[in-house]
Formats: sequence, structure tokens, C-alpha cells
Amino acid sequence: MGHTHRETASDGALVRRVLAGDVEAYAGLVARYRDRLGRYAVHLLGDQADAEDALQETFVRAYRNLGQCADPERFGAWVFRILVNRCRTIGGQRAKRERVVVRSEAHVAEADVEHPADRQAWREAIRWALDRLSPEQREAFLLKYVEELSYEEMMEITGAGESALKMRVKRACEAMRAMLAEVERA
Amino acid sequence: MPEMEDELIGRVAAELRRPVRLDPAFDDRVMAAVRAHPLALRPWLFRRRTFSVTPLGALAVAAGFAGLIVATTLQLARRSEEPGTVTAASVVPFVLHAPDARSVTLVGDFNDWDAAATPLRATGASGSWVVTVPLPPGRYRYAFVVDGTRWIPDPAAPRAPDDDFGTPNSVLTVGT
Repeated sequence: MGHTHRETASDGALVRRVLAGDVEAYAGLVARYRDRLGRYAVHLLGDQADAEDALQETFVRAYRNLGQCADPERFGAWVFRILVNRCRTIGGQRAKRERVVVRSEAHVAEADVEHPADRQAWREAIRWALDRLSPEQREAFLLKYVEELSYEEMMEITGAGESALKMRVKRACEAMRAMLAEVERA
Repeated sequence: MPEMEDELIGRVAAELRRPVRLDPAFDDRVMAAVRAHPLALRPWLFRRRTFSVTPLGALAVAAGFAGLIVATTLQLARRSEEPGTVTAASVVPFVLHAPDARSVTLVGDFNDWDAAATPLRATGASGSWVVTVPLPPGRYRYAFVVDGTRWIPDPAAPRAPDDDFGTPNSVLTVGT
């Protein structure tokens, strides 16, 4: 079943419909948040399949615990927190097995827009650098610079304190700068 | 802290903000999984439940509220509509000290996390809010909702280990 229409109801209205028994209303919430959450998961985990697994688990867990969403109008922030936790779990499990770095196939597919070789190399360098951050630094960097969240929002989503988050972002930036400057000089 | 004035970090962020394409069947997979696990939506008060007498469980819960609660454990026994089945309820007190709150409600596994289902009543000048709930044996996650928006765990009870949902919960076990 496709979901081509754009749902215009608010998050709160959709959550209330689901809780009232309209399961299909949940598709509107999935469609609304999957792209942003998917981007975060792909960049955090560095693997498209792992990212989609984490995202699917996130949406299913969110659905099954929808009654715990204390502020349905802020479903997006709530489900983001669930995803952050799922990514931590999956990343931790994977780290015990092996270091896996797989390019996003979507990125590869888009790589021929302009200067394909340069662009692809730049993307791979970013991926390489991201993978060398600690999980906490990578998480903080993505939330701050890619998702453009405020520290207040990051605190809500990660459960970490502001000073810890600022330090993680600072360290992540320093490491990214050092690694990518080295790549650009090469 | 250096923010977006950093040219290199800005270029990294711009690249990472580009959309990532997911499997076109992703939505269908999620909805198939969701449809396979329909929510239990009926209010708990209307469910058929068999209660049993649980004095130890009620005492354990009361102990967990040390210092905050005057625990009163009531045991109610009643005969169900089904012949031959004796059911009883353990009435568990939930107490929160929140002198600045305008309202406090209880949410948990036992009331489908419905913030309107189980309001606590203010006990007067002490700043405590109280409600008693009949609970059958089992393990329950729960929390308080203060002023309709602030979700807080019970400060006098253990935290539930699964806090994925952004709403830190407490856990209690009502024994048989």
C-alpha cells in the first residue's frame, strides 16, 4: 500500500486517532518523520540496512508504546529519542562484532550529479571521519550540525547534560577538522 | 565554542544534510508490523481482570514509598460474575510530594498510560498528592504527570530499566 498523500493533520491529532483505534493514521506519522530519522540513522550507523532496521524498530516500538507519548504534539521529538536509543543499542552490539563501514547506496546513486569523483571522495572522507569519532561524539555532532537541534533539544533527546554535550561537539569538531584537513592535503 | 563559522565543518554539515533515500517499501514494512500488533486500547477499568489478595505485594510497594507515604493497604475480596471464581484486589497507594503542582495524575501499564484516567487528589497543606489503585499481581511501569505536561518517575521507587521513550518511568511489582 502506498502513501502518496501528504497528511496535514497535526502530530497530536494523528496520535489521538491511533490511540482511538485508527491504526492507519500511524502511516501519516511514519511518512512525516522517516526521512529525517532515516538520515540520522544512516549517518550514525554508517550502514543503510542497519539504519533501516533501527528505524523500523523505532517506529514499531513507538507505536506499541504510543500511550507513553506524554505530549502528542511533540511526537517527533519523542520518536527521535527512541531512535537515538535504538542506534546506541545497535551500534553497541555491532561494535562487539566488527567494525562495519558500508556506504549508503542512496549516496552512491546520487554521486554523479556534479564532479562525481570529487563528490564521492568527499563523502567517503566524511564517512571515514565520522566512523572514527566515538559514538557519543558522532551522536552529538549529527544532532548539532546535521539535525540543527538546540542544546536544550539535544538534552531532551540524549538525556545528557548541556556541558557534556558541548564538550562532545567540541571534541567531534576538532577531530573532524584534523582528519578531514589531512584528507584534503593528501 | 566554534559554531558554523567553521568553513570545513559547515561543508561537512551541508553534505550530511542531503536527503538519504530509504527503501521505497519502508513504510509498508512498518505498517505491516504495526498491524500485526494492534494496541490494547480499552480503558483498564473496563477490562476483565481477576484480582487476588496480595498483602505482601502491597507492603513491598508501601516500603518503596519510604518517607513520602502513609501507606494504607486494603484488601478487598469480592465474588466475580463467574461462578466459582473468587477475586480480590490489592489497593496500592501512590503518593507524590509536589507542593507546587496544580494537578497530578498517574499513568502506567494499568491504565493504558491515559493521563486523564487516574488523577491524584491533594491532601492539604502537606503538598502531597494521593491516589489508591486496585492492582492484580504483576509488574507495572508507571509515572506521574504533573500539571498535564511534566512526566516524572516516582522518586521513591526503582526506575524502570527501559526508558527508551523519553519518559523515565518507575516500576513496581505486586506479588501474589
